[in-house]
Amino acid sequence: MDSQAYLPVPPGVGMEENFFSLDDILLSHERLSCRTECAFPRLGFLEKSGDTRDIAEGTKMELPLWLAKGLYERKRRVVSVEVPKVYREGWRTVFSADPTVVDLQKMGPYYYGLGSQMLHFDSPENPDVAQSLLQTFIGRFRRTMDSSQNAYNEDTSVLVERLDCLERALFRSGQSGLNGFQSWEKGRASHLTASTLVLNYRKRKMADTQP
Amino acid sequence: MPIVHNGAVTSCVFFAVSGNSYSAGTFISSTVGVPALTHSFCKQNNPAVQTMDPSEVEFLAEKEMVKIIPNFSLDKIYLIGGDLGPFNPGLPVDVPVWLALNLKQRQKCRIVPPEWMDVEKLEEIRELERKEDAFTPVPSPYYMELTKLLLNHASDNIPKADEIRTLVKDIWDTRIAKLRLSADSFISQQEAHAKLDNLTLMEINTTRTFLLDSLNCMYKLRSNLQPGSNKGKALDY
Amino acid sequence: MFCEKAVELIRELHRLSDGQLPAFNEDGLRQVLQEMKVLYEQNQSDVNEAKGEGRADLIPSIKLRHSCLLRNQRCLAAYLYDRLLRIRALRWEYGSVLPANVRFHMCAEELEWFSQYKKSLATFMRSLGGDEGLDITQDMKPPKSLYIEVRCLKDHGEFEIDDGTVILLKKNSQHFLPRWKCEQLIRQGVLEHVIS
Repeated sequence: MDSQAYLPVPPGVGMEENFFSLDDILLSHERLSCRTECAFPRLGFLEKSGDTRDIAEGTKMELPLWLAKGLYERKRRVVSVEVPKVYREGWRTVFSADPTVVDLQKMGPYYYGLGSQMLHFDSPENPDVAQSLLQTFIGRFRRTMDSSQNAYNEDTSVLVERLDCLERALFRSGQSGLNGFQSWEKGRASHLTASTLVLNYRKRKMADTQP
Repeated sequence: MPIVHNGAVTSCVFFAVSGNSYSAGTFISSTVGVPALTHSFCKQNNPAVQTMDPSEVEFLAEKEMVKIIPNFSLDKIYLIGGDLGPFNPGLPVDVPVWLALNLKQRQKCRIVPPEWMDVEKLEEIRELERKEDAFTPVPSPYYMELTKLLLNHASDNIPKADEIRTLVKDIWDTRIAKLRLSADSFISQQEAHAKLDNLTLMEINTTRTFLLDSLNCMYKLRSNLQPGSNKGKALDY
Repeated sequence: MFCEKAVELIRELHRLSDGQLPAFNEDGLRQVLQEMKVLYEQNQSDVNEAKGEGRADLIPSIKLRHSCLLRNQRCLAAYLYDRLLRIRALRWEYGSVLPANVRFHMCAEELEWFSQYKKSLATFMRSLGGDEGLDITQDMKPPKSLYIEVRCLKDHGEFEIDDGTVILLKKNSQHFLPRWKCEQLIRQGVLEHVIS
């Protein structure tokens, strides 16, 4: 098993974000359909049509999650946020019927992360959304586990194709345990190897020097 | 402080195979220093990455005692990890596995396989393991590591080595399949704790990261069900 | 939308998930800081207007810009912090001397940080294990033997081992060397560990 000295700040998973996590920063960049509940003077240029001075009340806009969260207040409505389709009832029924058939990469890719973040916005559906996220995870767990434990030295791209980001991370940790054990079994565990980081640097250098 | 020892180091102290100054001090770095440091320096942010390399697990297994029959004589030797010997030709003596392997490699001894490393006994264990739903007790907490070490270095001292290798692998596979099955039911029933009776370090080690990460995810998704538990909101931008 | 530049910086790092250090994006950083300056100044003047002329209707816009300021701040902090994690890792993967193409990607402050980190680590290692100190970057795996068989993957010149013997590390030559002398060169891809 490679010992990697670089370990990025892990994502928060769930409702809390990890401030320094690159994953969480990209997750919170996901766009949400929002509607302004008041006017935003002098910011008209942010809007698509962009020909007015102000953003009028009642304008539909795509806002990133971080901004929707920043503007959102329970007491005083500044923006209202629309729940993305995957978390609405129609899709929830599909998920509860058979969570394993859904392509979460396509629907997500931050299916669990974004779903958990949506709970920051008041909605009567929130308990159902939260329940659906948990049940989907549980329902797909066996698959995630089995594929991560059976895929030694194979092309894993097919196996991870339909997994969401969170499941992909789990898949990778399952793989690293498996690979570590199997390379030990083959007597490669005490083999000293070059740092993957160093090797990747060299590859890049070669690519750079090629015309 | 109890100092664990390793083939490389003590063979140097003991037999002076080289003039290398590989001191006990340098050696500690590989056991105490590295896990402690990499964990506190590099792994602090990610609790899930705190895993051992299988070679570290094997290293621990090398401290297990095994009987050898030496073909040389030597007085008792005093090491920081304990006294060994005396060694007399033809007289069985207990030594740690690392030393047994080192002596064996230099044709200084014959290794007596542990009692459980026997086709009949292992067949019994395998049948029991297949029959029971729970994990059955294994003959040694390091059965997998010891099988590999002894069969790779001293197969000529172990009767029916190939059969033993297959049997142990069968036992391992059965147990790992059980481990996966119980991990799945653990998750699907949303349990909060589990007993890991009779599991060995190597078995736990292959699945530790995955299981801990999964449980962490499940915990976070479950906390979503309790509204009002969200404190961090104001900080996230 | 605001903050696009800042996220671009984050994406740059995220793409290199193996820990490689991309070139320090001074220009990107400058643009983000510039955007922050503009946001801050606009907010400053809107706040004055809201207070002085009682224009409460400006508050939502002030809030929006403020969110953007905080977002930019988070992205910049995360960018710099993640780079430091990578730079720290380089010390463990490459050793204390970094190749020029890696150093080239660091800004002056990062180079300074690296050399401070190197010093702290060295001081710490010297304080361990008696008089000689203890190199904790060695023996990342429990050693099986004192000497190992290695093959040179490239010409590396002369190399002195403990007893003073000097050997020539020539491409494709094979040697039997003290493990602790080789470990770093193996990690750097100069030598290859040969297992029989």
